[in-house]
This record gives sequence, structure tokens and C-alpha cells, in this order.
Amino acid sequence: MFKLIQNEWLKILKRPGTYVMTGLLVFMIMFVGGIVKYQLVKENPQEDKNWKQTMRVEVNQAKLELKNMGHAPKQVVEATQKNIALKEYQINHSIPPTQKYAVWDFVSSGSGMIQLAGLFTIIIAAGIVSSEFTWGTIKFLLIRPISRGKILVSKYITVIMFSIVMLVILFSLSSLLGVILFGTPETSVPYLNYLNGKVTEQNMALHLIILYGMKSIGMIMLATMAFMISAAFRNSSLAIGISIFLLFTGGELTGLLALKFNWAKYILFANTDLMQYFEGEPMVDGMTLSFSVIMLAVYFIIFQSIAFYVFKKRDVAA
Amino acid sequence: MTAIVEIQNVSKKIKGKTIIDSVSFEVRKGEVFGFLGPNGAGKTTTIRMMVGLIGISSGDIKISGYSIKNDFEKAISHVGAIVENPEMYKFLSGYENLVHFARMSSSIPKAKIDEVVELVGLTDRIHDNVKTYSLGMRQRLGLAQSLLHDPKVLILDEPTNGLDPAGIREIRDHLRMLARERDMAVVVSSHLLSEMEMMCDRIGIIQNGKLVDVQMVNDFVNGSETLYEFDVAPKEEARILLQNMLSDSELKITPQGIAVPIKKEEVPSVVKGLVTEEIQIFGVREITKTLEERFLEVTESKEEAAHV
Repeated sequence: MFKLIQNEWLKILKRPGTYVMTGLLVFMIMFVGGIVKYQLVKENPQEDKNWKQTMRVEVNQAKLELKNMGHAPKQVVEATQKNIALKEYQINHSIPPTQKYAVWDFVSSGSGMIQLAGLFTIIIAAGIVSSEFTWGTIKFLLIRPISRGKILVSKYITVIMFSIVMLVILFSLSSLLGVILFGTPETSVPYLNYLNGKVTEQNMALHLIILYGMKSIGMIMLATMAFMISAAFRNSSLAIGISIFLLFTGGELTGLLALKFNWAKYILFANTDLMQYFEGEPMVDGMTLSFSVIMLAVYFIIFQSIAFYVFKKRDVAA
Repeated sequence: MTAIVEIQNVSKKIKGKTIIDSVSFEVRKGEVFGFLGPNGAGKTTTIRMMVGLIGISSGDIKISGYSIKNDFEKAISHVGAIVENPEMYKFLSGYENLVHFARMSSSIPKAKIDEVVELVGLTDRIHDNVKTYSLGMRQRLGLAQSLLHDPKVLILDEPTNGLDPAGIREIRDHLRMLARERDMAVVVSSHLLSEMEMMCDRIGIIQNGKLVDVQMVNDFVNGSETLYEFDVAPKEEARILLQNMLSDSELKITPQGIAVPIKKEEVPSVVKGLVTEEIQIFGVREITKTLEERFLEVTESKEEAAHV
């Protein structure tokens, strides 16, 4: 199995497209870093010495608002509650608001680029099986003393490894660039987590790693789908097209459906964002973390079963 | 000689249509077996079934005793093959391609890779990208990958397709050498009859998904009777004379003379008959039918039989 994965990496690393994708990712990180730096130099935020005072005023104001809200939508009420809770915690524990943009802020905004990493992973996933068909090399690949199932597993593992490599590049490069451009914060500031009305402190680096991990679930699921289409239909353009379309629109489309229909919670994209259970509200009422995890597992099993069933049965005739 | 490949009543149905209809034959160690048939007869389909690329609808194929259906990994480990064109990873070098495929079989040392490269004569160019290879070089690289794991059976689909005469000759010599020196069973398919004649020990003819005939090449070419061509003058008189002498045989006028289907022992008496009637004889030649002629004969007669 190790040798098979080694083979897949050989084929990925020997193609120029891989370097173009990695280069683009690196370029985008640096580009965003540059823009943020430029803006900061222009703005140069003022430090507030009496931040506790200011914050108290804000809290009181928010509390007043909350009282008069009455029939406001649930989301607004909860956002206000969260705001109040976080600020009170900061006041009580003397944690100043991060006035200076530092490395962690940059890494955090870098998580937006996980979409880009997802895009590249989908491209790899979509091609990893179907390319063998287009190249004609599938005929040499399948006449080895290795079952088709094992070949497919090794290819899937390679896709996952590729996505991890992309994420590691994204995370470490934005950390490095963040330190260079924005410096480390003077005092180590914990991340404040709000869940079920309670505020807890969390190590910043740990929080960011969890954030990256959570945000990657959608990408992994879509890569799995692209992999399935690639293995089952031997068509990489179809796999890339559908998956990328869903990568960029799936969340919004599901959000729109969720406003009207309760069954929207069974759609894959209603469940990919697990952060909704830790900080915020689920897309559809009544959804729980375990519900989402089960839904994700179901989708995963469906994708993989189709991929394996079709790939193992297929007559290789072209 | 023992059979190493056994094809047992194999049929293939695709969407209710029978592509291959209960084909059975076997290939022995140390022989080159030719698989002959017009385009679309089912050669490639049969070969694909032999290497497990497509499923078998009924019947079984055994390689070295292992069923390709139920014991795929064991069966295929004895097989090296090129199915249709030798398409390799173009963005890798020839050597990387070999390393790639070597990793997929158990424990192939580096020296073995060098050995097969040497054998197929690619040593000079093996580290170049496959992109830059000519078709002949790709064919040789394909042969190299199929020999990496010392297979007992070598299956090549149209191995000489697209090669120039020198390349064809080279492949032919390689295959004969592998069969003879390494006791490999070699299965080649082709629609090029002249090629098969020079390369194979036995041939199987497939037509419309059915195995029409399996014969030794020599028997097949010569068939039951031989033709002798008499270069004589005057032609017309000689023809009448010969027709009288051999009343039940069919004579054919050829550009050089008259072709007469007789046995070797009969030649002197025929010559004597012609000489006594003062026919001038310039030469008597034995005409060996080419595989092509025999092939057309066999396939046409089967077709006629099918239509009647």
C-alpha cells in the first residue's frame, strides 16, 4: 500500500500543474498579506487606554437593545447575547480587545483561502482515476497483482494527503508571513469561545487549528464526491465542474432552501460547517452536532460505495 | 509441453449481445501462439478477458492453474501484457515508468529493471521523458514493463502495430527468443497474416466471436494439398493435356503457367506425360500458399457455411 501511494505521489509531483497550483496558493497568501499590511499602515488604529470604560458603555447599550427587541429574529437576539457575554468576560478577566492586528488575525483570515486549497484538492481528486483512463495507462495499472479495491484506496489516501499538504502550506505560510508582516502580539491573548451562553478560553493556536480542520470538512466531502464521479464515470471535467460549482454555491443554495424547507437539513452542505454548533446557530432548527456527523458519515459512505462498486465492476474497454 | 493458459468455454455478453461465443483453447509453455482474426472478430476482447480487464460472462480462464476470475492476484502475477497501444505516463521518463510498475509487483530489484532495459535495447534513452519516444521505443518500453516480473505468460495485443519493418523484425526476434530461452508462453494477436506466419508456432483463428480453427502454422499454411506450377509452352495445349491426365483436379492458369494441385510423387509422371506430347517445360515450382490465402479460404468457407 505504501508503494502504491508512493506511485501516486510520483505522478502528482512530476506534473507541472501541481506546481502551478501550489504556486498560486503561495502567491495568494502573500498577496492577501500585502494588502492587509498596506491597509493597516494607512489606518494605523488608535489604542484605547480606557477600554474597560468604553466596553461597559457598549454592554449597557446592548442590554437595553435586548430588552426592547421583542419580536426580533432569533439570530439577532442570539448575536447580541453572545456579544454581551464576550464583552463582560473580557471586562471581568481584564483581556483587552486585540487592538493590534497580529499573526493570529492573519492566520484566521487565511482560513478563507481553504476554499482555494479545496479547489486544488478537487482538481487532483477529479483527475486521479479518470486521467488513467484518458492516458490509457489504466490497462497497465489493472494488470498487476493488486486488487482494484487497493488501487482505489491508495488513490483516495493520496487525495486526502494532498489536501492536508495544501492546508499545512496554507497554515504554516500564513503563520510565517503573519509573524514577518504583523509581528506577534505583546501579550498572549486567548481565544474566547461562546457556547450555550458560556464563555471559555482557548489557546489561540489550538483554536486556529480546529478552525482550519472544521473548515476543511466541506472540502474533504466535495473532494470525495469528485473522486467518486471520477472513478465511477471516468470523466474528470464532469467531476471538476460539479464539485467546484457546489464548492462555491452549495452553502448559499442550501441556506436559501433552509429558510423555506425543513428537509434542507438533509442536504450535505447544511452539515459541512460544524462550527455552527460551537459558535453560532445551526442552519435549520433542531439540527445537532451528532445529527450532522451522522449525515456526513452517510454521505461519505454513499460516495465511497458508489466509487468502489462501479470501479471494481467496470469493464475496461477503452 | 504443458498448457499454462487454459481458456475454457469462455463467453462474453454485452447488453444481451454475444461478443465471444464459448471459445476454448490452451497455450503451452515455450510456444508462440498467434491469435488471428479480422478487425472486430473478438481478439482484443478475448485478450482483455485473459488479463482481467473485462469480466467473463461464462466459462473460465486459468493461468498457471489459477482462475483469473476467482484468484485474480495469483493468476495475473504470472502474466505480462500489453493491451492495444503501449500507453505510458508521458510526463515520466521511461525509467520512472518502469519503477512505477515494478513497485506494483512484489520485490523487483533495481538490477532487474536495468536488465530488461538492456534486453529491449533502450539503455541510451531510458532517462528521457516518454513524450519524446517514437512509437517503436514506446513499444519496447511496453515490452520492458511486461517482462519486469519474469512472467510465465506474455500476452501482446497487436505488438507490431505501427512499427517499421526493422522494428517488427526486432520484436519478432525478441518474442521467439523469450519463448525458446525462457520457456515463456507468448500469445500475440494480429490481423497481419504474414507476421504471424514468421512469428508463431500455432495459430487460432477467431471470427465473429467464435474460434474457427487452431492449427500448427506449417500445417495451416500447407493445408491438405500442394500446388505445383508448370511453366510450359504452348499453354493451351498443355492445359488440355493436363486436364485429360488429371481429370478430377481443378487447373488454374497463372501468369507464369499452369497451377496443378498434385502430390509430390505425381510430379515426375506429369512431367513425363508433358514431354512425350512435346510440350516445352521451362520450370516446375512448388507453390506454398501464404497464410493470407489460407486465412481467407478458411474464413470464407466458414462464412459460406454459416449462410447456407
